[in-house]
Order: sequence, then structure tokens, then C-alpha cells
Amino acid sequence: MKLSRRKFIEILSISPALIAGNGLTVFKQAFTEDETGPLPDIDAGGLIRPPGALPEREFRSRCIGCGVCVNVCHVMKYDAIAIAGLKDIKNFGTPFIKNMRDFPCGLCMECPAKCPTGALRPVNKEEVKMGMALIDFSLCFGWNGDVCLSCSKACPLGAGVFDFFYGEWGNQPYINDNCVGCGLCVKYCPLGGSAVKVIRRERYTEVKEKYTAEFRKLLSMPPEERYNIVYGMNMPEIMARGKIVEREYR
Amino acid sequence: MSVNTDKGGTEKLNPRIKKRIPLSTLRRFVMLGIIALFLLQFLRIKILVGGLTGSLALWFVNLIDVFAFLENLFSSKDLTVIALVSVLPVFAIYTIIGRAFCGWVCPMDLLFEMVDRVKGLRLNIRKGKEKIGYGLAGILLIVSALIGIPFFTNYLSHLTNFFRFLTGGIFLVLRLPVDNTVIVFSVGMIVLFLILDYIFPRLWCRTLCPVGKVYGLFNKLSLIRIKFLEGECGECHYCEELCYMQVKLTPYLDRKSLRDSNCIYCGRCVDACNTKGRLIKIGFRRTG
Repeated sequence: MKLSRRKFIEILSISPALIAGNGLTVFKQAFTEDETGPLPDIDAGGLIRPPGALPEREFRSRCIGCGVCVNVCHVMKYDAIAIAGLKDIKNFGTPFIKNMRDFPCGLCMECPAKCPTGALRPVNKEEVKMGMALIDFSLCFGWNGDVCLSCSKACPLGAGVFDFFYGEWGNQPYINDNCVGCGLCVKYCPLGGSAVKVIRRERYTEVKEKYTAEFRKLLSMPPEERYNIVYGMNMPEIMARGKIVEREYR
Repeated sequence: MSVNTDKGGTEKLNPRIKKRIPLSTLRRFVMLGIIALFLLQFLRIKILVGGLTGSLALWFVNLIDVFAFLENLFSSKDLTVIALVSVLPVFAIYTIIGRAFCGWVCPMDLLFEMVDRVKGLRLNIRKGKEKIGYGLAGILLIVSALIGIPFFTNYLSHLTNFFRFLTGGIFLVLRLPVDNTVIVFSVGMIVLFLILDYIFPRLWCRTLCPVGKVYGLFNKLSLIRIKFLEGECGECHYCEELCYMQVKLTPYLDRKSLRDSNCIYCGRCVDACNTKGRLIKIGFRRTG
């Protein structure tokens, strides 16, 4: 491509404006975040760490924020790990799984093997404790009259993690305590905005009782009542999400 | 790095007669080359992965900066084999090349040189005060131990922030997950360093930078040294004038070699002397 002098000067004069404009949008985006996901009343309870992370306090004292895990994750083509921002100043600079909806952890187990400080330690795939995936029963297709099972097909540990409760209301999946929290099910859920949420293990022990109570209540519910819930409340919400949340597969 | 010794300084050579690549140009190539190797990781080529505080060479050698290792040690209060294995190769490298990292690898040197081209208010502190850096490094280690976070490396470090900015910027362009506040923060920190350098040229490198101070300790036991050839010094003091780190060279000319803890082996004194006397060179052995 040949570049005339006039064109070159044009590009030269435009580029600072472009850079400034981009910088401004980054700055604006930096402090705003919109998130409509499943289980809005259960927060993640902190940052979801990469696999093999030590307990939070020890991890924090060891991680120097060098970014090897981030770049190893990029080289392995998962791009799951990001660096935590200023919102949580204590954890600034530490790695976490930012966007499981598009970039879940693939459990390749390279980042714990490559961590130079020992903040992440090599473990077996099955013993990873990144978090715990919870299904939102009011959004899941399987719990609302369908047979979907996308989450169980995506799960790298498969039958060890998923329990199924087959009934007239669908093939209802349930994730048990063997879940490692990689988030592949979050990505492959076909629902707009996903029906699965990964929370930290510590948070799970807090909400476990409430969550399993809801699960048992739904299973033992009389058919009329369940019919009202599924077709009266849940289905309209699921349909609406399909329209609102556009999914762009990456 | 080899200078023909027999000619020495007795003969005032015109630099145009015998051309060799100046060390200032050579080290610029080395610096950009290493940054280019780091940039290859975004094309998924596994030569150097990570950043200059911690990295992974050839996908199997872990490397970690010595000051980062110390901070990690102080904040976790535990010596792990993993961290020790990562720091050993770096330790070995610096026992050979001393503080050459600062002059030949550190990207801030490149940015500071760009700042040097901007004319304006420059306050030059021409006094020693190099000891402040050791105190600062000690304070940072104690702070890390108290709050249980590797404080400098995680928040302030120019190297961490430089590579965070690189990774963040490229991820932003590729639309990969990145927290934008990280980019804003790291750019802010780099700009602060550049402003500091604009007002006090090279004060950061010379006096404050704890990373460089730790490498300076290696200078005392490293194999690399500045060597002085026999010959007549013209007393032009051009070498000291060009020196970023304000190392005093002329009082030691009769010593044959010098290992100053502030020397970054950038070779500006060599280039300076090459225009006049050709007395100074950088080498590894004591004689020759």
C-alpha cells in the first residue's frame, strides 16, 4: 500500500483523537458494569480464583500479580483469567475468572504448574476447588418442562458431578458437591444470561441449606402448584431473557 | 564488547575510521528484542510468557524478580521450594551480569530516554543519597510483612504496571476479559513515573527503585565490570557527564577495573570515551 504524504499527515492528526476517544471509553467503562445473571440474591462471595489456588489469605500473601497465569491462560486459548481491578483494592492485581459466560476455565491445569511463586499449586482436576456451580431452578430449561442437559454435556467431570431427577416437569439436573467450579456449564447453558452461577466454596457452605431446601421443595411439590410456577412465572421470564440477552458465541 | 586493547588511548582515533556498533544502540536492540519476545506470547508463541516481575521462559523455566521474591518471602513468612526454584536462575544470571538488567532490559530506561528529549524544567540532584533506596526497600519489605500483601510488586512496580498495561491493552483490543480499572491504574502509575523522571531525571533509577537496588547488591559479586585501559586520560569528564547513574569514574582510572553498585553497564561511558580516548570498556575478566 502506498501512502501519500497528505494521507500520512491526516492519519497522524487523527490518531491522537482516536487514542483519546478510546481512552475515554475505557475510562467510562472502567467504572460501570451491568450484570443480569441467574440467582441475583446469591452473590459470588468474592473472586473466583484460578484452579489450585491456596486459601484466600495465603494466596493473597503469595501472589505478586506478575500475570504469568493470565498469559499462560491466553497461550492455552482459554483466556479465562483476568487481573482484578480497583473495586476490591485489597485484591487488586490478583488473578480471577472474570467472565465465565464467555471464557470459562478449561481445567487444562497449566496455570498452577507454571505459577512462579506457589500461590497456585498443582492439583488433580477432580480436587480443584475454584467454586461451586448453582442452577437457578426458576430459569433452567430442565426444571421447567424441557430436556436440555447442556450443562451436564459440557461438564468435564460428567457423571461424577451431575444428578438427574427425571419427571413430568423435565429431566431436572442437579449439581452435587463434587463440582469444581470451572464454569463450562455456565458457558454452554442455552438460556439468555445463563441459568448457572458459580460462587465461592465459602459462600456455598453459607447458602447450601437454603438452596437444597428449595431443591427438595420443588421435587416434592404437588403438580398443580408446580404447573402454576412453571407456566405462570418461569416461562415468561425465560422467554423474555431470550429476547433481551443477545448471545454472541465466542 | 571487545575493544582492541593494544591501540588503547595513546592513539586518538577518529571514530569514523573504525566503525563499530555503539553500545547505546546495541542495548536498545536488546531491550526491544526482549519486549518483542514478550509480545510474541499474544500470538501464542511460548518463548517468554508473563512479564518482567515473573515470567516463564521456554515454557519450563520459571523466573521471578529478586525483589519480588523477597517481598513474597516477607509477606507470606514462608520459604517455598517453588519460589526458590524460580528465583535461582535469576540469581545465577545476576551473579554474572550484575545490574545490567537496568540498562539493557528494563523498559523504563527507554521511556525515560524519551522523556529526556522533552526540554523544560529539569531539577538535577547532583548529590549522592543513594543509600535512601536501601532504606526504602527495607520499608517496603516491612510494609509487605505487616499487611500480608507483596506491596511494591503488586501495586507500585513499574515493571508489573508496564506489563499489565501491555496485556490489558492487547486484551482490550482482542475483546478478551480484562478489568478496565487495571489499565487505567497501570497507565496512571507509568505516567507518574514519567512525571517524576521529567522533574528529577533518573532519580527513580539512581536513588529510589528497590528492584534496581537489589540488583546493585549483585554488582559487588558479579563477574562483569568496567575496565580501564592504560593510556592518558584527557580529563574531559564526558563519561561522567553522560552517565545516567552519576558513577564517578575518573578517580579510579589507575585501578584497571570498577564495580560500582550503581553502575547499570549501559555503556554510555564507553561510547563517550570512544569519541576521545578509548580508555573505558566493559568486560568480564580482571585482566586483559
